[in-house]
Amino acid sequence: MKKLAVEATAVSLFYLAASFIAFAVVMPVQQSLFPGLENRASLLFLPHGVKVLSAWLLGWRSSIALLPGVLAVFAYFAGWGVFAPHRMIAVLAAVLVPAAVFYLSKRIGWDLFPKVGRRPRWASIMIVGLVISVVSSVLSNLAYGNSPQNYIAYLIGDFFGLFFLCLIMMFAFRALRSMAVPTDR
Amino acid sequence: MSDISKLTELRKLMLDMEHAMGLQELSTVERDVYYAASDCTNASDSVRTNRIREHAIVASMSRPTFFRALKSLVGKGYLEQSGSASRGRYLVKAPK
Repeated sequence: MKKLAVEATAVSLFYLAASFIAFAVVMPVQQSLFPGLENRASLLFLPHGVKVLSAWLLGWRSSIALLPGVLAVFAYFAGWGVFAPHRMIAVLAAVLVPAAVFYLSKRIGWDLFPKVGRRPRWASIMIVGLVISVVSSVLSNLAYGNSPQNYIAYLIGDFFGLFFLCLIMMFAFRALRSMAVPTDR
Repeated sequence: MSDISKLTELRKLMLDMEHAMGLQELSTVERDVYYAASDCTNASDSVRTNRIREHAIVASMSRPTFFRALKSLVGKGYLEQSGSASRGRYLVKAPK
């Protein structure tokens, strides 16, 4: 239980931070460059990366870990309207679909979950991330009744969100490595 | 899987991304030895060389190749020789 609380705190905080960057930093730039796009469709949606990587690492526990963060972001934009049926469908899609796709891929013989002796494949995570994005955006856009143009915007935003989150983490790990002082032999 | 090993899994994934993007600083052999050491270690515990050697990923590796890679990984800061009296023990360095 304590472990789940720690995971939920960490994952939800990462989700909130990624959402802040997507909506407060990326969105204003995007709106000045592409004013025709629907307001909520970010072209660099970093929270998708948080969803995919947490589902990869935690499996079903990621659904619980993501829930506070996802609910907080929806509540920020919709207030009590977060409990409207179409928004609840979008919330459920956001927290359930990532883990479901990883388990489904495992069922069909493509198990990507971390395991002792297994080399993680970044390209495979990107492909699953794309599938998660397709399923999530279809469900969310059906719930909201959005135009097809926004399906494409969501897909682009999710793909680049996952890619750039991985890129940021890759350079962060490289920076940490370069700061580590090698041991003299 | 412990919290530290989740970080290690993320680190391994980012190493694979570096490799895919041609930015890697580890050879394939070094990467495999690092993966094996990561899998064998628990939280802050050190891992014995023999345990790493027995891991499936590096089992077919020749002894000189394995030890060259081990030495190189220490030099690059991925592994650290354990400070305890016993030699042949390594710590997998995790991001702080």
